[in-house]
Amino acid sequence: MTTDRRPILLMSPALLWLFGLMVVPCLLILVLAFFRRGMYGGIEYTFTLENIALVFDPLYAQIFLKSAWIAGLAAGIASILGYAAAYAIAAMPRHRQSALLFFAVLPFWSNYLVRTYAWIVLLNREGLIVNLARWVGFEGELPSMLYTEQAVVIGLIYNYLPFVILSCYAPLSRLNPEISEASRDLGASGWTTFRRVVLPMTVPGIATGFVFVFVLSIGNFVTPALLGGGQFQMIGNLVYAQFLTANDWPFGAALSMVLIMVMLGLLMAQATVADRASGGKAGDNG
Amino acid sequence: MTTPLLSLRDIKKNFGSAQAVAGVTMDIHRNEFFALLGASGSGKTTLLRMLAGFEAPSGGDILLEGSSIAAMPPNKRPVNLMFQSYALFPHMTVAQNIAYGLEMDRLAKAEIKSRVSEILEVIQLGHLGGRKPDQLSGGQRQRVALARALVKRPKVLLLDEPLGALDKKLRSEMQLELKRLQHEFGITFIVVTHDQEEALVMADRVAIMKDGALLQVGTPREIYEYPETRFAADFIGVMNFLPVSVASGGYQGKEGPLIRAADAPELAAGSAAVAAIRSERLGVETQGENSLAGEITDIAYHGLDLLLHVKTPLAETPVISRLTADVAERLAPEVGQTITLGWSARDTRIFPA
Ligand SMILES: Nc1ncnc2c1ncn2[C@@H]1O[C@H](COP(=O)(O)OP(=O)(O)OP(=O)(O)O)[C@@H](O)[C@H]1O
Ligand SMILES: [Mg+2]
Repeated sequence: MTTDRRPILLMSPALLWLFGLMVVPCLLILVLAFFRRGMYGGIEYTFTLENIALVFDPLYAQIFLKSAWIAGLAAGIASILGYAAAYAIAAMPRHRQSALLFFAVLPFWSNYLVRTYAWIVLLNREGLIVNLARWVGFEGELPSMLYTEQAVVIGLIYNYLPFVILSCYAPLSRLNPEISEASRDLGASGWTTFRRVVLPMTVPGIATGFVFVFVLSIGNFVTPALLGGGQFQMIGNLVYAQFLTANDWPFGAALSMVLIMVMLGLLMAQATVADRASGGKAGDNG
Repeated sequence: MTTPLLSLRDIKKNFGSAQAVAGVTMDIHRNEFFALLGASGSGKTTLLRMLAGFEAPSGGDILLEGSSIAAMPPNKRPVNLMFQSYALFPHMTVAQNIAYGLEMDRLAKAEIKSRVSEILEVIQLGHLGGRKPDQLSGGQRQRVALARALVKRPKVLLLDEPLGALDKKLRSEMQLELKRLQHEFGITFIVVTHDQEEALVMADRVAIMKDGALLQVGTPREIYEYPETRFAADFIGVMNFLPVSVASGGYQGKEGPLIRAADAPELAAGSAAVAAIRSERLGVETQGENSLAGEITDIAYHGLDLLLHVKTPLAETPVISRLTADVAERLAPEVGQTITLGWSARDTRIFPA
């Protein structure tokens, strides 16, 4: 046999790591979803679908939908902002681009918690933004910005925007400028060129960024806890509570399982988009 | 006189302090197949990009049918460019690529459809309309790029090294193909190439470009037989150069008899010059006013003909004589042999040194 085994050898440490330390423990937790919760928080090993069914109880389903809405909003806005930023960076002279990208990912270098706390300082009733509004001359009562849904969305966008910039920058920077010129040459305006050529060719970057932000946002529990205040719950907080305060591991596992299914579905959709944009099969008319 | 289709008036382009195009003035006529020939970096692409509207000239004007288009954006110009990289849209099929420009012209769907399938037949890719560009061979992609520009029926079609990526055999097929299409569509072609043979084969007129300026514009025959400068002479074909000084009635080489030239520029007696003779005019059996003896140092077999490298006392580098296969066979030259080469005074070109 002359099959080259080297790629497999090179991949195996990472795969083993992922499998042994992530997939297996996750599966161990997920099977708990099919067991009953013990009287005092333990686990009673009898098979049941009650936990899964409970996830679809309107009370929890609503939190799911709310989380999806917030994650979708954050992902949507981050995609637009990130794409615009990436487009501007890619249009700069080459030698400037790496410096700009460096600044775009700079926030990653500080701690997530610190960054989120910084937003509390900004949005707070006596915070910078309110003070700024006063200084500009705004009188009267300002609505509290902290501990609202908007604060959570802003926090999520802020935290994940660099991902979108990077994922959109990749295809934009690879775009041969002659392709856009060819479109102009054939009679298309700048806007038509963008809509029919640049955007379709770079949509995989947007899809990747969108799914990334969505997946990270829907399961996030730090930002909703800090910027959304105590009462505000997203699915991440709910899972967190089941495992750490309510001590209901089976229900926590059931929630996680549904969440993971949603994420996998999205990742698959994103892979399909990427696939289709990169060529696809003969004769498939878009 | 009719107005030329396209007039370039002292067109210039500077990039910072570097001058890519240094004042080009020329006229291009309707239905002309015009070739721009020049070494790498001579400004050919820059000139085409100014005609297509992607670079604003730093000076001068471009007139199309008498009116200036220098300030017109590329999407408004009745001029199309076929890019050196083809620049096909990878997310669209062949048919969609070709239809794109027609959709921009807001033609009716039915008309677009018929024109696309018509041109697909012309480029013999009728069966591949549904493929994506990355499922095509280099030659097929090249034809799609050509069709995409041609289907718009522009007044002028600009082609930047259209055959650059093809192998030699396909190249010569496509050269004739391009000529046929140009004839069939009656569109003015301006083709950039750095392949001199390609320019001679395809074009009605050739311009030689050097350092952003035009050295000479003329028919392939004029360019080949009557180069105006030593550079132009050297750039096209295989040319032998012999250093000479101007004497009365001829030109004196390092030694030997005077070299005769039929028509030559007026040069001061005693000044230095070069005599240039094409390799195919310098023959073993050629009868002529001039002759030159030397020793064969090398023989290069080219199939159709044979190149003899002959070391002579008149020049540092060996002169090259091209023998046709039948002559070569009869003479059976060998390395080390001493031979005498002859040529006619009509075939001597004289340039100031
Ligand atoms: N955008 C640009 N910025 C700066 N210099 C440029 C730019 N485009 C071209 N040049 C310079 O202008 C000169 C002419 O370039 P051009 O691309 O027109 O040459 P060319 O004749 O097409 O060469 P080739 O046969 O290699 O394609 C070159 O010296 C090149 O470096
Ligand atoms: Mg070029």
